[in-house]
Amino acid sequence: MHFKRALQAILIGGLLSWGASDLFAQDYYLYVAAESDDQVHLVHFDGNSQQGSIAETIDVGTWPQENEGPHGLNISPDGNYWFVSIAHGMPYGSLWKYETGTNEYVDEVELGLFPATMDISSSTGLLYIVNFNLHGDMEPSTVSVVEPETMMRLDDIETGIMPHGSRISDDGTRQYHVSMMTDELIEIDTKMLEVSRRLKLGKDANNSAHNMHTGSEMNHSNMDHGDGDMDHSNMDHDSMEHNPVEKPTWADPHPTKPLVYIAGNGSDEILEVDTGKWEVTKRWSSGKAPYNLEVTHDGKLLVVTYKGEGATGIWDLESGQELAKIPNSRKVSHGVTISPDDKFAFISVEGIGGEPGSVDIINLETLQRVDVVETGKQAGGIIFWKMDR
Amino acid sequence: MGKALKLLVAVLLLSTGNIFAQDANTLKIVIEPDPVVVEVGSELQLSAKLVNAQGQALPDTVLFFSRNGADLEVSREGFVKANKPGNYTVIAMRSGPREERVTRNFEIEVPYPPIAEVAFKQVPENVYAKTTIDLHVEVTDEMDLIREDPDVTFRSSNESVATVSHGKLLALKPGNVRVTATSESKSATLNLNIKANPAQTIEIANTETSIRTGDVITLNATAKAANGRTVDAPITYSFVAQPDDNLGQGAEGQINQKGKFVANVPGTFILSARSGDAVTDQVIRVRERNVAKDVELLGHAEVLDVHTSDLWVWEGVDGRDYAITGTWGANGDTYFWDVTDPTNMVAVDTVRVDARTVNDVKISEDGTIGVLTREGASNRKNGIVILDVSDPRNVSVISEYTDGLTGGVHNAFIYEDHVYAVNNGRRYDIINIEDPANPYTVGRFELDTPGHSIHDVWIEDGIAYSSNWKDGVVAVDIGSRNSELADAGGSPENPVMLGSYTYPSGRNHAAFPFKSESTGDFYVIAGDESFPYGLPTRNNPVAAAGWIHFIKFDGWGNPDEVARYQVPEAGTHNFWVVGDVLYVAYYNGGLRIVDISGELMGNLYDQGREIAKFEPTHADALVPNAPFTWGPQPYKGNIFMSDWNSGLWSIKLVDKPQQGTN
Repeated sequence: MHFKRALQAILIGGLLSWGASDLFAQDYYLYVAAESDDQVHLVHFDGNSQQGSIAETIDVGTWPQENEGPHGLNISPDGNYWFVSIAHGMPYGSLWKYETGTNEYVDEVELGLFPATMDISSSTGLLYIVNFNLHGDMEPSTVSVVEPETMMRLDDIETGIMPHGSRISDDGTRQYHVSMMTDELIEIDTKMLEVSRRLKLGKDANNSAHNMHTGSEMNHSNMDHGDGDMDHSNMDHDSMEHNPVEKPTWADPHPTKPLVYIAGNGSDEILEVDTGKWEVTKRWSSGKAPYNLEVTHDGKLLVVTYKGEGATGIWDLESGQELAKIPNSRKVSHGVTISPDDKFAFISVEGIGGEPGSVDIINLETLQRVDVVETGKQAGGIIFWKMDR
Repeated sequence: MGKALKLLVAVLLLSTGNIFAQDANTLKIVIEPDPVVVEVGSELQLSAKLVNAQGQALPDTVLFFSRNGADLEVSREGFVKANKPGNYTVIAMRSGPREERVTRNFEIEVPYPPIAEVAFKQVPENVYAKTTIDLHVEVTDEMDLIREDPDVTFRSSNESVATVSHGKLLALKPGNVRVTATSESKSATLNLNIKANPAQTIEIANTETSIRTGDVITLNATAKAANGRTVDAPITYSFVAQPDDNLGQGAEGQINQKGKFVANVPGTFILSARSGDAVTDQVIRVRERNVAKDVELLGHAEVLDVHTSDLWVWEGVDGRDYAITGTWGANGDTYFWDVTDPTNMVAVDTVRVDARTVNDVKISEDGTIGVLTREGASNRKNGIVILDVSDPRNVSVISEYTDGLTGGVHNAFIYEDHVYAVNNGRRYDIINIEDPANPYTVGRFELDTPGHSIHDVWIEDGIAYSSNWKDGVVAVDIGSRNSELADAGGSPENPVMLGSYTYPSGRNHAAFPFKSESTGDFYVIAGDESFPYGLPTRNNPVAAAGWIHFIKFDGWGNPDEVARYQVPEAGTHNFWVVGDVLYVAYYNGGLRIVDISGELMGNLYDQGREIAKFEPTHADALVPNAPFTWGPQPYKGNIFMSDWNSGLWSIKLVDKPQQGTN
């Protein structure tokens, strides 16, 4: 499957190169959500001139005077529909479905508290979306499973606290997300609709009191049970409060290797998890507060937004070196989506207060920012739609 | 080129990798049993096979997914448990890449259990000739579940004594009759002895025969026997109208079956009370209510570059009058105005916080502390910001408080050193600000209804009135100062729910208590918010929808929605009551000022109760020449209001020339 995908990418590249002197597809299209303006923009980027623009703006939501907030975006596998999560409702958020091209509303379904990031499995065709619940209560939330053709909510899978970053393995069998407030990577079996594995991401997760509560089970091994009264003196009470350290915010599986990359927003790290060993195998110090990340389709580069410093990092996955750190056009970098030809990365940047958001476009060959497209306020969710010639 | 061709051939072969695989279009999933019928409360194991065009079963695993897992549980392996009757769609899937995936949607029927019993309920003790009663029938199935909206047919054994039409029994003359109610194969019979109607006369006690539009009178009719004895025969009420304006006039008034009447228009009305052959009429003369006043525009503090949200007007510690206004979908600014001279409102300070919307602004009773609510903070922690406003010309931020409020705070209220902050999800938090630099949460109030939500909270006399969308208005004792209304022992640390009222639209956005000075009745006034046509934009000043609901509480357990104020072409937002006057921001309908004195019934909009309206507009507003009024505040004889499009306004009411009031 991965080999086929890679070859398909080669085919696309090869066909594009025939009869054309340029190296880039001419037209790239992507959607980006402006969370504080209740809008989704269709952005067009001309690969030749390397200039982008807003092609269309779609108002979303039904309660414009209330706090709604389009947050996450995705595209159906056939490219015919786009989906946007509306974070706030009464009180539950929802998932809305639109037709690409016409951008006409199709349907919606209510989900949990602050539905955020979503992905569609290539195996089941189902959509898996995390209910981020950032209202401040430290309680387990859920991943909702939606049948996207009829927009029926099939199940809610209980997961960690403030889950975020729903991305699915290339074969469609495993959904990965992180639990921000419990420092966990969580894997869902997309067919059985259940959590299959949880991994503590802390540095001392395997051998210290920090990992006393792995999953739902308490590890009492560091406690002195002794005789008579229980001695609590050896317990690490600070760790028991589960103060998160890594505060992971995103997980993206590698397209061809059994690896998942994680943004350690709280620890300023990029983590690599080997899903075969089910352990953290690499930790790279990164820019401040990495938030979203995405691996290029050829599996060579990792593009990371640094929310805390308004920049984007481009990493070489083979060497583990950051090839470039590119300042974003404004503060609060958010999402990243990469064109299928791996030529460009599109970065959403929120901005602060009344300033507009933006999509910063980075040429992944020159590692330079080539254009900035201003959007509505708080540009967040971003997803690539299509390339046209 | 040779290499390229080889590569292309290789790619084409590999990219059509299923060429030798089974064509998914020729495969189908066979479910057994077929059809699938499961009794409610029962379980069933489904089996599924993937079959090719030749009818051969393939070894692939088929998974099941229920589209309604609460009412029909289906495990991935096809184990079914039926919890509720109905027809359900279930998905069976052989997963895989899109071109290999096979999906079948099939139906599972969970039939309604057979009906076990049909029973008549609420049968009156006496049924009199020439009266009509409602027939109440309860249908119960074999699972002991009451059937909702069952099909019931009625039959009378003697149509000359009584007939049944649309669920109502019309008693025609004295005699015995057997009424049979049938649903499916079960029936119930009701043997009635229709008695001669003892009512010989009807007495009307009401003496008010000259009233204004909007005044409610109660006929207080009594059925009397020939000997003058009061009898229990039911009385029905009706009226005939002769409006002064008879040129295509609409509904002239209304009368309910409690004998209460209200007129919408001036004219002469003949009110009738009837039981059997006994009828008594009363003639009522209705005149104009005549409460309208003119509006004098005092001032406009222009905010034309960003949207304005809520306002609060207060007397500062220096004795001058000030207003605070928030901004919406903008840059986190809050403006402070000196409004001592409402004809010349002057901006005196601006506070900017990390937010896109400062939706609500409140000032403490002593005029020293302000609270801003935040949405769209760049760090997504939102919460509230506490201000020192003792010098409104030099406002400073004392602290930010975000614990449990990170999802955003839409509205808040300050009451006795506590902030009641609406968490944008499901509850309001109660935060002690005795030391405003170190606020801390002391309590929370949250409903326990499924999917509950909350929008706003308002506090008066130690009772918090929250607006809760589909859960309606909720009253909570947080330290009642009014023992007549509440004495439940509540406190900020221990909020105690007193009562609530819901209504079907689920649009409850605001709530305000109202003790009528003219009648002593106590209401909670509930306002809707609805945007059926979206939000106004520069070129599209659309209308909002929704209305004001008057819910009369005769004790917290006895709410009764008795009246409304519905402007048909606009929708409500925030409102305020002083005395027996309602001030309501009606978005695209501007500000409406309404006389709510006396007993309330029907749609006040139709009754000439509107005292005045004011539509704040400005040619250079964000939406030009269009009002979108957010909230009012009557203050020291003037009325201040914020308008989403254009900023802060002040007006006052003046008597119309050559026209008095009644």
